[in-house]
Amino acid sequence: MKELLQVNGLVKAFGQAQAVKGISFHIQEGRCTALLGPNGAGKTTTIRMLTGLLKPTAGSIQFHGLRAGEDRRSLLGYLPQSPAFHNWMSGMEYVVYAGRLCGLSPAEAKQRAKELLERVGLAEAAKRRIGGYSGGMKQRLGLAQALVHRPKLLVMDEPVSALDPIGRREVLGLLKELKSETTVLFSTHVLHDAEELCDDVIIIRSGQVALQGALPQIRSEHRRPIIELKLEEHAPSLEWAAGFEQRTSADERLSATIEEIERQGTMLRLTVKDMDKARQALTEELAKEKVRFSRLEAGYSSLEDLFMKVVGE
Amino acid sequence: MSAVKLMTLVRKEWLEQLRSFKLIWIPLVFALLGIMQPLTNYYMPVIIEKAGNMPEGAVIEMPVPSGAEVLAGTLSQFGMIGLLILALAFMGAVSGDRNSGAASLVLVKPVSFLSFILSKWLGMMTLLWGALLIGYAASWYYTWLLFETVDFAPFLLSYVLYGLWFTFILTAVLLFSTLLRSAAGAAFSALGLALLLTALSGIAPKYMGWSPSSLTGFAYEAVQGGFDASASFGWSIGVTILLIAAGIAGSSALLRRQPALD
Ligand SMILES: Nc1ncnc2c1ncn2[C@@H]1O[C@H](COP(=O)(O)OP(=O)(O)OP(=O)(O)O)[C@@H](O)[C@H]1O
Ligand SMILES: [Mg+2]
Repeated sequence: MKELLQVNGLVKAFGQAQAVKGISFHIQEGRCTALLGPNGAGKTTTIRMLTGLLKPTAGSIQFHGLRAGEDRRSLLGYLPQSPAFHNWMSGMEYVVYAGRLCGLSPAEAKQRAKELLERVGLAEAAKRRIGGYSGGMKQRLGLAQALVHRPKLLVMDEPVSALDPIGRREVLGLLKELKSETTVLFSTHVLHDAEELCDDVIIIRSGQVALQGALPQIRSEHRRPIIELKLEEHAPSLEWAAGFEQRTSADERLSATIEEIERQGTMLRLTVKDMDKARQALTEELAKEKVRFSRLEAGYSSLEDLFMKVVGE
Repeated sequence: MSAVKLMTLVRKEWLEQLRSFKLIWIPLVFALLGIMQPLTNYYMPVIIEKAGNMPEGAVIEMPVPSGAEVLAGTLSQFGMIGLLILALAFMGAVSGDRNSGAASLVLVKPVSFLSFILSKWLGMMTLLWGALLIGYAASWYYTWLLFETVDFAPFLLSYVLYGLWFTFILTAVLLFSTLLRSAAGAAFSALGLALLLTALSGIAPKYMGWSPSSLTGFAYEAVQGGFDASASFGWSIGVTILLIAAGIAGSSALLRRQPALD
């Protein structure tokens, strides 16, 4: 697998505050990568540095496979978080214009624009002024203009965040097709979107990489066995739960099998080290103390749990 | 820089001027200004008479202006109202695209920053030189109808000199619209510069001969036929062209340093 992009120690400071504090990652050709992080994590800032719109304070961005003297922008397709066009142009005119700026011939640009507008579902509206487009239509037009020159790397900033559930499904479907054609990097704050589309994730939090790697690998590396216990509204049972939580940290036998207990109302969530032993210990307790529980479930932590943990700290 | 991409950008500027009707109303205003000057000059005695307040039997003696004087008057009208209109029309040339984010989408394409700036500049120039020509030619025609013929050569020379002064100020508008976020700020700065240079030329013409603002004076002289190319004439042309080139290069450098606003 060939490397397409290498980012090293990227820093961006706005005055005193650092929005991006030394991010490093690389992107393999043909992979789909999600830049995942909560609001204000620095996703947009990072992406704008990749596109060259923002000058990094420090660090380097290297594109491989760039011929000598070639503009790196010719490899890039970029869809901003909220794309702005010339509202007096029609969708068709804009995509042709974008194609011409990327060096396509008039005939090629026209052909490409037609294909792409069809593909993003704007064939009907192609002749209408962009000023009259809805937000979702603008997002799709943004995608069409980003793809016009068949970029090697498609960079998108929150491509589906502003869409309604239906638009979201449509664009996600489109991206699924696209990722087999080109390398994709997109940012999102929704883990689910990343899981659905991506091979790799880079989780960032307050300007730093918190975790990165291939999704299946992250999933298996950070997977923890957990037991969930739901109690009834029954005072002695709830008392037991509070006591059990305290005892666990003190009792050696318990703390050897149970790593962590979270209690929320009638829910008890145990992250365990050894599932068999923990199960044994817990069921003994439950029987001895006559705890009234309504549900007992053993399983594994999800990526969502990991994400919340990484991001929430 | 690629000529094809530059032309694509320029064509977009023209299309925008057409769709926003700038391509129509600006030449129209210039044509109106150009016609108004000979007309008001011609009917001035009648107008004053009709305005009344004249004692009974008073005779109004007004010297009939020469054709060249009428044209010089037209130029000075262009220099005030025309310049104001052009500056307002183009004050958001770069800042508008940048503030809306439309510039980001263009500047992530393999397009040189100089092309982007040059396309804006060329778009301004075609409209400026075209509107000025239409307005000035209209004035020339009505002057011929109502007063007398003015020779072609002085007409053309004064047109070019005045156009060069306008080019200088519009380049300043472009530079300020790249430098400042506010469109109004760009217009005021450029018009302020025009006023300042004109005032300085008025106060100390001896020391301001090299200034672009002395081009207006040369244009008035040129149309009235009393023009002899002095040393300061060459200086002012050279300095103006140099400053225009510097303005374009400066705008391009500013854009390169900060392609998008953050
Ligand atoms: N021009 C700027 N000047 C000052 N601070 C900025 C600027 N742009 C971004 N920041 C700050 O940098 C941090 C990261 O912003 P950024 O827009 O990259 O976040 P994000 O991850 O894209 O968030 P979101 O999900 O809300 O889009 C934020 O704290 C923000 O306030
Ligand atoms: Mg963002």
